[in-house]
Amino acid sequence: MREKRDMETQSIVTRPSPPDAVDLRRRPGSGENRLAAIAAGAAVPADIHAGVFASPAVLDIENFNLWYGQKQALFDLTLPIPRGKVTALIGPSGCGKSTLLRSVNRLNDLIDSVRIEGDMRLNGDSIYGRSVDVIELRRRMGMVFQKSNPFPMSIFENVVYPLRIDGERNRNVLQEVCERSLRGAALWDEVRDRLGESALGLSGGQQQRLCIARAIAAEPEVLLMDEPCSALDPIATAKIEELIAALRGEYSILIVTHNMQQASRVSDDTAFMYLGRLIEYGPTVEIFTRPHLRETEDYITGRFG
Amino acid sequence: MAGENRNAGNGFTGRRRLRKPKATVVVADRVARSVITLGGIGGIGAVSLVGLFLVYVAAPLFLPSRLDAERAVATGEPPAGVVHVAVDESATMAWAFHRDGSVLVRDLRDGRTIHRLRVPDGPSLTCWSFSLEGDRCALGYADGSVRLGTLGFATEYVDADDVRAAGREPAIGEAVPFRRGMVERTPEDQFRYREIVLALGEPLVLAAGTLVRIDQSRGPGGSLVAALDVEGRLHVGERRERRNLLTGELATQVRGGSLDLRAAGLLPAGGIAPSHLLLTGLGDNVMLAWPDGRLLRVDTTDPADPQPAGEVDLVPEAGRRLTAIAFQSGKASLVTGDDLGRVRVWFRVKDPEGDSRDGTALVLAHDLSGIPAVATAITPSVRTRMVAVGFADGTAALYHLTSERRLVTVDATGDGEPVEFLALAPRDDLLYAQTGGAARIWRIVAPHPEASWRALAGKIWYEGYGGPAWIWQSSAATDSFEPKYSLMPLVFGTLKATFYSLLFGLPLAWLAALYTSEFLAPGARSRVKPVIESMASLPSVVLGFLAALVFAPALERWVPESLTAVVTIPFAFLLGAHLWQLLPREIMLRRSRCRLGGMVLGLPAGLWLAFALGPTVERTLFAGDITAWLAGQVGEGTGGWMLLLLPLSAVAVVAANVQIVDGWLRNSSTGRTAREVALLDLLRFLLSSALAVALAWGGASLFAAMALDPRGGFLDTYVQRNALVVGMVMGFAIIPIIYTISEDALAAVPGHLRAASLGAGATPWQTALRVVVPTALSGLFSAMMIGLGRAVGETMIVLMAAGNTPIMEWNVFNGFRTLSANVAVEMPEAVQNSTHYRMLFLAALTLFVLTFLLNTVAEAVRTRFRRKSLQL
Repeated sequence: MREKRDMETQSIVTRPSPPDAVDLRRRPGSGENRLAAIAAGAAVPADIHAGVFASPAVLDIENFNLWYGQKQALFDLTLPIPRGKVTALIGPSGCGKSTLLRSVNRLNDLIDSVRIEGDMRLNGDSIYGRSVDVIELRRRMGMVFQKSNPFPMSIFENVVYPLRIDGERNRNVLQEVCERSLRGAALWDEVRDRLGESALGLSGGQQQRLCIARAIAAEPEVLLMDEPCSALDPIATAKIEELIAALRGEYSILIVTHNMQQASRVSDDTAFMYLGRLIEYGPTVEIFTRPHLRETEDYITGRFG
Repeated sequence: MAGENRNAGNGFTGRRRLRKPKATVVVADRVARSVITLGGIGGIGAVSLVGLFLVYVAAPLFLPSRLDAERAVATGEPPAGVVHVAVDESATMAWAFHRDGSVLVRDLRDGRTIHRLRVPDGPSLTCWSFSLEGDRCALGYADGSVRLGTLGFATEYVDADDVRAAGREPAIGEAVPFRRGMVERTPEDQFRYREIVLALGEPLVLAAGTLVRIDQSRGPGGSLVAALDVEGRLHVGERRERRNLLTGELATQVRGGSLDLRAAGLLPAGGIAPSHLLLTGLGDNVMLAWPDGRLLRVDTTDPADPQPAGEVDLVPEAGRRLTAIAFQSGKASLVTGDDLGRVRVWFRVKDPEGDSRDGTALVLAHDLSGIPAVATAITPSVRTRMVAVGFADGTAALYHLTSERRLVTVDATGDGEPVEFLALAPRDDLLYAQTGGAARIWRIVAPHPEASWRALAGKIWYEGYGGPAWIWQSSAATDSFEPKYSLMPLVFGTLKATFYSLLFGLPLAWLAALYTSEFLAPGARSRVKPVIESMASLPSVVLGFLAALVFAPALERWVPESLTAVVTIPFAFLLGAHLWQLLPREIMLRRSRCRLGGMVLGLPAGLWLAFALGPTVERTLFAGDITAWLAGQVGEGTGGWMLLLLPLSAVAVVAANVQIVDGWLRNSSTGRTAREVALLDLLRFLLSSALAVALAWGGASLFAAMALDPRGGFLDTYVQRNALVVGMVMGFAIIPIIYTISEDALAAVPGHLRAASLGAGATPWQTALRVVVPTALSGLFSAMMIGLGRAVGETMIVLMAAGNTPIMEWNVFNGFRTLSANVAVEMPEAVQNSTHYRMLFLAALTLFVLTFLLNTVAEAVRTRFRRKSLQL
């Protein structure tokens, strides 16, 4: 099955703009047909609820396409990420959620074969413009990865790393930021007595919260989270979710998750993606209670995916 | 149930799978397992065998020496009147010289006299001396004349029939009396005949009065004789023989002089004659020793004008006596024995005060004590620095003097009688000891008397050297030469080669690895890495050849330019980087692909700058001639200090920049354009460079003003094959291995750490320095250790380009000799199983252990690194 799908995706490349673009929106109950049409390479317009336009966008994704070598991974994505809210990206494996997330802070630049079209705007500034300094750009964002990745140094140094690379040497500033970030990440009480110890000695959940502390120490405009709980047990997951809830409003968060409950619990808006395309995007309440599309409903209720 | 499929026929694939592996699979599995086990054990075994073999060959060096009792000898007649005893090579015969001028040759098996002869004018004989080698003698007479000549055993091969005709039929290896000597049947079934030969020259009148002490030496030009007459006058005579090359005529020239010791007040009160008179091997000193230990040296460099050159008290303890004295082989070192049982070695060294007439002083070099009895007889070996010493309590001991070891002690007489005469067979394999009524022979088992841990690692005072030193010198032109086996200069040379090659190769390899793993596009990286690794396949003999014949002469031709390039190339690179920053931001970001090309330009630019500045540098810092400057002939120390201080001052300036200027620059950069900041940065760079140079110059001038000169340490006389050449070329040779391992270690740093750092807004450079390098540090360290191991064991490059001088000097412009090169150079010349041969194996063993240790440490670090990286 899987191989067959890949073959079909391959065939898309030869005709990137399919002539037989069909609008299947008006035909409710034809969910399988829509997904099949996407699998066949048809360009299906996304269903974007009006609710997401209610608040100003921190990040605007505009007609974004991305290829890994010959294979296209993201198709013509256009969506705004509202400021001060938590936006969840859901979808089955391989739908391009993580790719989209990594495109926001241009970590995909590190991969040689990646080619993009279209643009994104962070608070109005182009991200993919030719004269954009990618380092400057990344300083405006924080990122938390799927696997916790503390540096092999002390807890303190991990948290203040973004300040270190800015050349900050004032001990007071560093200590204050460290404490605030750790408090922000709900880790302060657990590690306050061992800031000088190696971060690798922390448990998995603590490490992940440490990474969040490191990300918020940089005062990012957007916080990108790539399945931050997928490697954690339920208790640690609950703590992280609480943390996300606490950060809401203060930070704009874009989170990728496989966990439908998590998306419904923590996010304000949810975008459902499939095979590199945006299917439906709207306020979480609407997406989870009364989705416009049958496919979305099928996915969030676990009928496929 | 096994082997039976309950769902036979209903399987998903429609076939039945065997529940037991097939017999062929089982067999193949076992065969594979045993072959692999065998291979593994074989590999370990092979390495262990190499080590074991090295130990096996080197270990006999440290075996204790032995004296095996061979046989007792009947002396035949009372030894009255005997003044000298010598034995032949196999100790079958001995000749004894008697006071009355008669020489008796005895068969040592039964004590019977084989032959008897008598020197001319025997009754008027008053003094005598016999050479250590047992071939020459000097006789002094009551009428003041001397006769020089030959007295000793001579060997010839005789016809078997002649021996048989005489009714002798010795078995192989046996010796029997024949004619005036003994004939021995060799294992090759030849008949070797030895007899005593006495051939004396015409009398030479040296003095008017009776001679009381005499000695002679043979120098390169002729014979020298020194004698003391009863009036206290020292006479020196030199007989020179020159053969006319055209006519073949032999012209003999005799000249000499005398010194009246009594008139000069050099004789002790009462006019007692010295107990010994000794003439050095070169004939430049006559030494007169009195029983109370006083020794007077007379300079006879000009035989026509002997002059006193100093006095030494050999036995300073009051009331103690000098009881035995002899020259060691080569007649330069004196061995003395006293009634305290001490055996001491004295030789002349350059006089530190320089106030003696011949500029030398006799010093005590070795002092061996331990036997509380009067030393009665001293017999040095002809071949080595071993001496046999007999004591009044009947003890005989073998010493190795240079290494200050008493090798072995035996009770020579068994009855407590003093040892009167000792003789060593010429091959050092037999010891003959004679007391009043009996004599014994021992077989000496001391194959490596000079080898001891002290001699290998400690400082040893060799004859003629100013003091104890670490010296490796395994061979020389003369026989009396003593081989010097200190491994220290070789270990030092190995370390020096390693140090300089790492100094050059390590930063390059590490930076190259960092660049390829962190900055180069993955596509380019997959091409660059194999290219650098293929550098390792360059045979080191090719590198050595290039180093010795191309690189070394080139470096010698352009010394100041090369030294300048060390500064100008980094300067050019940094300047280029700062100029790049000046480009408008748009262009800089768009043309970032051209950066590598721009960087490569730094090398030719730096070289050009070096060649442009070289002559100026040489003129201003090194008085216009760097070779002469390094040799200490011209100029002052300023230039050299500048050379040494510049890296330090550069580091200091960089540190100051990081500590002070960076913060200020960062604070003042807010609100400025990137171009302005880049300009400021360029300005700062230029000012810092100037400051570094100025600082170095200031320090150099200060040191020079304090009259300190850097020459003599790291900087000294320039030799074409030097550590700099080897450092660069061997650095080149070790780059690939350090590079590969470092690159692997850096690439093994998990990508998510890099992503985390980049995601936090760090530049690739910050990511590399703050995250990647610290994480890969142990891998980098292990790469260094493996490079170190390679440099330690490297042979061909150092052999060809290091000059192979086993000296201990850090001077970067001088050569050295490594353990490996030493083995390669000397192994073809070492006699199998000789000390030299075993010593080379010991050097190889040292090398083996050294590389083994280095690799083990590297491996241990690597395993730890692997374990740690699994955590990430």
